[in-house]
Amino acid sequence: MDAYISSIAGYLPLLRLNRADAAREFSWAGLPLPRKGLRAVAGWDEDPLTMAVESARSLVDESAPDAIRFASTSAYFTDRAQSAIMLDALALPRTTRSSDVANTRRAGTSALLDALLAARDEIVAVAEKRDVQPGNPSQLAFGDGAAAIRTGTSGGARLVGHASLTHDFIDRYSSREHPTSYAYEERFARDVSIAEMLLPAVRAACESAGIEPSAIAQVAVAEPVGGCWASGARKLGIEATNHCATVSDNAGDLGAAHALYGFGLALHSAKVGDYVLLAGFGSGVDALIFVVERDVPGASAMAAALEEGDTLSGITRFLSLTGSIDIDWGMRSEFSQKAQATVLERIGRDMIGFIGGRDSTGNVQFPKSDIPVNPALGAVEKLEDVRLAEDTATIVSITADRLNFTPDPPFDFGLVQFDNGARVLMEMTDRPKGGFAVGQKVRMRLRIKSQNKALGFRTYFWKAAPLTRQQLGDA
Amino acid sequence: MAKGIKDKVAIIGMGCTRFGERWDVGADGLMVEAFAEALADAGIERDRIGAAWVGNALDDINVGNSALPAAHALRLKQIPVTRVENMCATGTEALRGASYAVASGAVDIALAIGVEKLKDTGYGGLPLRTKGVQNDLWMPYGSAPGTFAQLAGAYAAKHGIDAADLKRAMAHVSWKSHQNGTKSPKAHLRKAIEMDKIIGAPLIADPLGLFDCCGVSDGAAAAIVTTPEIARELGISNPVTVKAIQLSASNGTELQFSDWDGASVPNTQAAAQRAYAEAGISDPRSEIDITEVHDCFSITELVTMEDLGLSDPGRAPADILDGRYDADGAIPCQLDGGLKCFGHPVGATGLRMVYEVYNQLSGRAGDRQKDNVRIGLTHNLGGAPFNSVAAVAILGRMD
Repeated sequence: MDAYISSIAGYLPLLRLNRADAAREFSWAGLPLPRKGLRAVAGWDEDPLTMAVESARSLVDESAPDAIRFASTSAYFTDRAQSAIMLDALALPRTTRSSDVANTRRAGTSALLDALLAARDEIVAVAEKRDVQPGNPSQLAFGDGAAAIRTGTSGGARLVGHASLTHDFIDRYSSREHPTSYAYEERFARDVSIAEMLLPAVRAACESAGIEPSAIAQVAVAEPVGGCWASGARKLGIEATNHCATVSDNAGDLGAAHALYGFGLALHSAKVGDYVLLAGFGSGVDALIFVVERDVPGASAMAAALEEGDTLSGITRFLSLTGSIDIDWGMRSEFSQKAQATVLERIGRDMIGFIGGRDSTGNVQFPKSDIPVNPALGAVEKLEDVRLAEDTATIVSITADRLNFTPDPPFDFGLVQFDNGARVLMEMTDRPKGGFAVGQKVRMRLRIKSQNKALGFRTYFWKAAPLTRQQLGDA
Repeated sequence: MAKGIKDKVAIIGMGCTRFGERWDVGADGLMVEAFAEALADAGIERDRIGAAWVGNALDDINVGNSALPAAHALRLKQIPVTRVENMCATGTEALRGASYAVASGAVDIALAIGVEKLKDTGYGGLPLRTKGVQNDLWMPYGSAPGTFAQLAGAYAAKHGIDAADLKRAMAHVSWKSHQNGTKSPKAHLRKAIEMDKIIGAPLIADPLGLFDCCGVSDGAAAAIVTTPEIARELGISNPVTVKAIQLSASNGTELQFSDWDGASVPNTQAAAQRAYAEAGISDPRSEIDITEVHDCFSITELVTMEDLGLSDPGRAPADILDGRYDADGAIPCQLDGGLKCFGHPVGATGLRMVYEVYNQLSGRAGDRQKDNVRIGLTHNLGGAPFNSVAAVAILGRMD
C-alpha cells in the first residue's frame, strides 16, 4: 500500500536572535561564532513538548490517528513519555498508540519513515530546545522549533523510495555528563559524513525510487556542517538548493526537527510531479524520496512562519532564556510549586486538554464543577466536555504585572472571554510590542505552567497569545 | 430580610498599634499592645471577656495556625477563642464573629483582634503558593497589584475614559491619603507626596505605579464589644454601636461566567446594599459622614466609591479630582491615611478602619477630627476583584 504525507506543520517560537549582534558581543573573546541570519529562541515556558504540540495541533481533525510519535534529543522528561502528554494535550483518545524516539538528530526522519512504512494514519511530531553554552558556536547556530507530519494512505506527497544507513559516527554528541553539544573538527565531520553516509544513502534511496539523483527537484538535507551538502549535491548532479539551509539561516539548526522543517519548505516550493529528497542525519542517515502529486496542506504556513517574529534587542535576555546565565531574581522567586500526581490523575487530562464543560443551558465554563457556575442553575449536573484550546477569545481585563516573579518579565495575565460563554483567568504569552489590551483577540497556546527545578518536574497549561504575529523587521 | 444587629452591639474599647516595619516586636507583642489599649479604653478587667475572635490572614508565614497564638499572647483564661481568616477582609470578619456572639446573647463581652506580622518573613504581597491542588494547574499566580490593576483597563474601556485622565484621578487618591497620613501618628507612612511624583513613579502592574499601591505592614488592632445595656452599666451612656456588618463572597461567577465587565467589584455592591438595608440607610451620600475603604490600590478606592453608591457610575474620577473624598470634602475617605499610608497588616486592617471611625465618632481623632461625624462606614476587601470577599460595616452612636 502506498504511503503518503497527508499534511505537515511547523512551529517556531516568537523570538529571534540576530546572530551578528550576538557574535559582536563575544568579539572580545576571538571565538569563531556564526554571524549570518537569525536564531529562533524559545520562551521560558516552551520546551520540546509544548512546541511539538503546537506543530501537531493543526494536523488533528475529527478522526484520531492510529498512532502518535514524538521525537527529540532534548525532551525534558526521561521517564515520562512526552507522547503521552502530547496525546492528552491534543485531546486524543487513550486508545491511540504512542511512542517516543530520541538520542539522535535522525530521530525525526526515523520516526517518520517507520510511520510511512507502516502505511498508517500517524502523527509524527519532532521538536528541539537544546541546551547550549556561551562561546560554543552551537549556541548561535542552533535554533528552537518543531515540525510535525501526518501520514496516511492518501495525501499530497507519496513515498517512492528510501534508504537508511546506520553509522556510529561522532561529529558531535551530548550526554548526561555533557548536556550541551560537543563538536569535533568540522572538516572531519564534513568529509566523512558526505562520503561515507550521505552520498551512499541518497544514491540507494534514488535507486529504490527508480530515479537518477539528478531528477530530484527539491532537497531537504540536514547537514552535519553548514553548507557541506553542496559538495555532495555536485557529485550526485543535484542542482536544487537545500531548503534546510534556509531554515538554518532564518531559525537555526533545529536538530531532530531540522530535516522535517526543511521538508515543509521543499513541499511548499514543489510542483506536481517533483521528486523531493528528505534526509535526516545523525548516527547515520535516513534518505527518503517523495513524488508530489498535489499540494500538501500546511507547507505554505511553514514558509510564512520564517518571516514572522520579534527580534531580541539585547543578548542578556537570550542568555537568560537559554539558561546560559542564572539571574538572581531575589526573594520573590523563592517558592516551590510541587505538582501532585493524585491531582494530575484526577483532573490533569482536563487541564492539559483545556477541557471545559457545557451545562444544560448551553453555557460553557472552565474548569468544570459539580454545580454549574451559571446563576440560572443550582443543582448538580453532569457537564458535557468542550475543548477550548482551539477557540479564540477576547481580553476582558489585563495587566502587565512587574511584581510577580516570572523568568521573563512582565507577567501578563487577565480575564479572557470565549464566545461560547467560558471565561477564564489566564496567563498571556508571546507578548506583542506594546503589550496586551482590553478587547484584543487571543488564541490559545500550550506552555509550561509551573516548574519545580528541585524536583525536576513541570506542569503544562494553555496561555493566551495574540492571534497573529508581527512580521520580522516590523517596528 | 432578617432583622439584623443594628444597635444590638456596642463597641466599648478599641486599640491599635503603630503600623509599620515593627522590627522591635513580634506577633504576640503586637497583640498585647492593641489589646492593652482596648482594655484600658473599655475600663474592664480582662477576665470579663467571654469569647474572642482572632483574625490573621497569612497564618503559615507569621503568627501561626489556630486560636492558640492569641490565647497564649493575651493569656486568655480558657475561654472560647476562634481564629478566622477571610483574606484581607479578615479584620472585619473577626469583628463580625464577636458582634454576632454578643447580639445572640451567647456572650456578654467579646474581643475581636486582628494581627499580622509579615516583616520577619520578607513577604512582599505576592501570592502564597499552594501545594499542587486543582487551581495550581491552571490559574495564574498574579500579584495583588496585578489583580487589582485589571480594574483600571476595564474601567477605562467601559466608561470611555482616557488612560491618562484615569491615572490622574488614581494619583489623587494616593495624594489625598498621603496628606491624611501626615496627621496620623500611628501610620506606617507619614510623608506627603506630590502628584507629579505619584504619576511618574515606576510601574508595578500596569497602570499602577509605586504610589498607587499600599505596602504590607506589621500591626494589630482590637475591639471589645458588648450589649448597649452592659455598656451603660459600665458608664457609657451613648456608646458607639454597630449599625450593620455585612459580608459577600464570590461564588465564581465573576471569574467563570460572562456577565461581569471587570470594572467594578460586585461583592462590594452586594455587601453595601445589605449593610444599608440593615442600618436603615436609604441615601448613603447624605447619611454617611466618613468612610474608611479598602484602598489596597488607588483604582480600588476609585471603583469602591461607585460600588458603595457614593459616586455615580463613571463619575468617580471626576468626584475624586473635585476633592469630594478629601479630608475637607463632602464625604472624607481615609482620614487616617488608609491602607496606603496607615498601613496594611492584613488581618488587622478591617479593625484598624473601625478604630478610626470609632475615634471620629468619639471625638478623639486628634488633628484629623471632623465635626459632626454621626455615621461612618468601613469597607474591607479580600482577594481580587474577580474573586473577592467584601465586608462593609456601618457604625454610629446609639442615640
